[in-house]
Amino acid sequence: MNAPNRSELFVLEDGEKAVEIIEDTKIPNAATIKVVKQDHTLANMLRSQLLATPSVLFAGYKVPHPLQPYFILKIQTDGTITPADVLQQACSKLIGTLTALEAKFKREFSFKDVEGAVVSEDPYGGPSTGGPTWAGGRDYLDF
Amino acid sequence: MQANAELEPSVHIRELKKDRVNFVLENVDLAFANSLRRVMMADLPTVAIDTVEVVSNTTVLPDEFIAHRLGMIPLVSANCDEAIRETRECTCDTACEYCAIPLSLNVACHDSRTLDITSNHLQYDPSVFNPQQESGAEGEELTKRVDNFGHPVGKNDPSLPPVLIAKIRKGQELKVRCLAKRGLAKEHAKWSPCSAVAFEYDPHNKLRHTTYWYETDPRAEWPLSDNAREEEPPRDDEPFDFNAKPQRFYFEVETDGSLGPQEVVMKVSKHPSASCHCAESLEFINM
Ligand SMILES: [Zn+2]
Repeated sequence: MNAPNRSELFVLEDGEKAVEIIEDTKIPNAATIKVVKQDHTLANMLRSQLLATPSVLFAGYKVPHPLQPYFILKIQTDGTITPADVLQQACSKLIGTLTALEAKFKREFSFKDVEGAVVSEDPYGGPSTGGPTWAGGRDYLDF
Repeated sequence: MQANAELEPSVHIRELKKDRVNFVLENVDLAFANSLRRVMMADLPTVAIDTVEVVSNTTVLPDEFIAHRLGMIPLVSANCDEAIRETRECTCDTACEYCAIPLSLNVACHDSRTLDITSNHLQYDPSVFNPQQESGAEGEELTKRVDNFGHPVGKNDPSLPPVLIAKIRKGQELKVRCLAKRGLAKEHAKWSPCSAVAFEYDPHNKLRHTTYWYETDPRAEWPLSDNAREEEPPRDDEPFDFNAKPQRFYFEVETDGSLGPQEVVMKVSKHPSASCHCAESLEFINM
């Protein structure tokens, strides 16, 4: 009854900022980034891309509560680049990978078009037979 | 850190059918492949019946039961991004032709036989819209639609048996007015274009990401998947490589027909969580 509306999981509220960066005052070159209305799909991908960057010392994420639709990403760098910049870099790398992937898929599908257009066998199973006809006689509806 | 970090991803499609695609993805890391899987399942918009007005229901199934079954029927959602807008983003009062597809169903049984009410009985019916209400702001949506956009998948296709909604007998009838709306599977699974996404890597478990329970011999008790034929089996004297990373990811994406397998896969790189929101975050960080 008191569950939040499911669309609140992915729709930004009016004036809500998608990303908020909180600089860490106790650890050098570190920042905590709060990304709202996103889940593991983006968080884990970003974390792994950040870890693949040599200047990143630490990158980790958590979704503090499954009913609260945001995640927190913590980044520490070696000082040659700020956490915000390295995150930006990671994002562009990911977009690059996705674009490359799209091109690869396009190419692969263009080879497959001929085979894919015609499906020889019926993938959904045989056609259904209509309902059985009742043997004559009457039932309670006839009265 | 990763030898393959700079390599471009590579894809090999092993099989493409009307409702499924089987492919192998390489040169990406596990997190990326998994995000791809998650996006295909839950982040691609489709249309599904979302509001149902029951005018008359004398079937044995209660109204809620019927409404739920109607919601689960796959509707043609090709090019859904451009062909329809979210109702919550539309400026109309409740629903209009830009943000909803009107469908109605009116079936009564007059003969002494069991009659199947199926998805084929769903009719496109603009009278479901309230004639007094105004449409939302004008847009391009209507021109981006295929002819049967929002109609049940496989309607008028004799090779596809329709989806059974209810069975009625003589004297029973079902009359409903529905609005199909655009949505994401994150809100309700009925909006998922995929009925199943199979995902596997490391079929020989060389990386030891899983531990097999066994009686005496795990190799005898756990049959290998077909994908194991694509990879070298481990030698018995092979030391465990704790730096190894998964390299090849085996996917099989099966759709419910609302989107074709090709559209599902191609939309991933174009649409939601994946690129869009990365780009959004970029924008915000720049500010
Ligand atoms: Zn509207």
